[in-house]
Amino acid sequence: MLRGNRELWLAFFAILLITGLYGLVILFTREIPPAGELFGHSLGIVGFILMLMTETLYSLRKRSRSVKWGRLSSWLQFHIFTGLVGPYMVLLHSSWKFNGIAGITTLFTIIIVISGFTGRYIFTRIPRTLEGLEIEGTLSQEALKQARRLLALWHMIHIPIGMVLFTSAFAHLCGALYYATLLR
Amino acid sequence: MRQRLGCLSGTGLIAALIAALVIVGYVYARGGLLFNPGPLNAQSGRALGGVTSHAEIGDNCESCHTAPWESETMADRCVVCHTDIAAQLQDVESLHGTILQNNLDLACRDCHAEHRGPEASLTVIDTEEFPHEAVGFSLHGHQQTSAGEPFTCGDCHQADITSFTTDSCHNCHLQMDAQFSITHRITFSPDCLACHDGVDHYGDDFDHNQFAFPLTGKHTEVSCSGCHQNAHTIADLQSASQDCFSCHSQDEPHEGQFGTDCAACHSTDGWSPASFDHNLSNFPLTGAHVNVACEGCHTNGQFQGLSTACIACHTEPAFHAGLFGTDCAACHSTTAWSPAQFNGQHTFPLNHGGGATCATCHPAGFTAYTCYGCHEHEEAEVVERHLDKEINNFQNCMACHPTGEKD
Repeated sequence: MLRGNRELWLAFFAILLITGLYGLVILFTREIPPAGELFGHSLGIVGFILMLMTETLYSLRKRSRSVKWGRLSSWLQFHIFTGLVGPYMVLLHSSWKFNGIAGITTLFTIIIVISGFTGRYIFTRIPRTLEGLEIEGTLSQEALKQARRLLALWHMIHIPIGMVLFTSAFAHLCGALYYATLLR
Repeated sequence: MRQRLGCLSGTGLIAALIAALVIVGYVYARGGLLFNPGPLNAQSGRALGGVTSHAEIGDNCESCHTAPWESETMADRCVVCHTDIAAQLQDVESLHGTILQNNLDLACRDCHAEHRGPEASLTVIDTEEFPHEAVGFSLHGHQQTSAGEPFTCGDCHQADITSFTTDSCHNCHLQMDAQFSITHRITFSPDCLACHDGVDHYGDDFDHNQFAFPLTGKHTEVSCSGCHQNAHTIADLQSASQDCFSCHSQDEPHEGQFGTDCAACHSTDGWSPASFDHNLSNFPLTGAHVNVACEGCHTNGQFQGLSTACIACHTEPAFHAGLFGTDCAACHSTTAWSPAQFNGQHTFPLNHGGGATCATCHPAGFTAYTCYGCHEHEEAEVVERHLDKEINNFQNCMACHPTGEKD
């Protein structure tokens, strides 16, 4: 179980660690870390970078078969790890306020994580090698066809959600720079 | 083979484009409202700039926000409406002037946070740097709570940082010294700030002797309200009269006979002993008068208006036989009745005989005299001499010798 879901355990420990740190900051400052101050802001920036990595690295590796850095399954594990830890940090960055574009971005972040989880379990229905190649013959043609159709459908939903998320995140970033960070 | 990123699929790009269009359209229609991190403060105050709260500004972000590339800052827009604060910033004696002088880089929003909800406080202050004395109460004497903990804003400002009631003072000081606090509050009113400014000397360091009326003797045992009745402000306290009589008129047993300058005779060590200097009166005490008890002369508690005539106290003795009048001092001094020096009219020359006392001629009272018994006036010899000259009526010597001479 542990071996099979190593990325989940690692993500769980990372989340525990971040939660502990978050608790300590609350203990010392006696307030929920505001999104615009050092700790809260750092959570948002690092979380967003992790989410960007989630979006791009696995996808790049998957499509660059000529340059084979690491096993594809490892990249998938890393994709899942960052896909959980990044959104969790973004959630903490929200300081539990969900107003305007920041709230919309958080909402889409939560949706994309749920969608990602769903996708992971659809993906694992198709047997693959460590390099991610489908292993034929273990499933009936009918079952494989159905699994592929389901995966395609999931992609149709997951990717637009992700794009909306990054568009709104970008808008939030611009707004935050204009109205807060660069404020004079 | 290099493929496009998965996210750059047709549906992905369309979704991103639609999202971007929605965002741009919203921003175009409603300004920066999409980026509003939270509701503005809705607590109504004075009307400034046409509104009574920030919430009434609504979604007009530009009322307060400037673009990063503009030379105008947010603070510049704050003072457009908050003209009173603009005036304070020019006055280093004022709260905001003091703060700005100490921190030239501070912007309004560093202390006054917005978008925290309609009810949230607009003021967020670094307690260690806040010049609390600028609001009329220094924290000089409030570094630690009665429990020895550093003070926090909430210790005094329970409901809101901008509000304060003296219940906060009372609750804390009640724990420190309940009896004193209750008495003090009743005596001087619950409005602590009317007298206390945090640096005054009315706390543990209070020393009445630093003021114009040092407390000595019995005055050190008197409660504050004993002298400072109904005092509710510093001005009230300072207006307490320093004149003895203003407090001690009820204690006056002299019925006004000694005036109102109690300290002329009494000290703060007690009413008794008193040190009345009788010599300052119109009847200085000399001689035997010094040792007489006050009541010897001042009977019935009368100290003023007494006659200074001797006869007011001294009756003429019977042996004077009413011959000397009532001006005792004409013959007597205060040292003693005797010896006395008669200086009045005398029908017979007083220099007769030399060295004689009254009793020489008046051995049996002043109404009678005798010439016998003195030098040559032996009775037998006088009788013999007068009979030799056939003078039979010689008993009244003065009839023939009014000056004491032979002829």
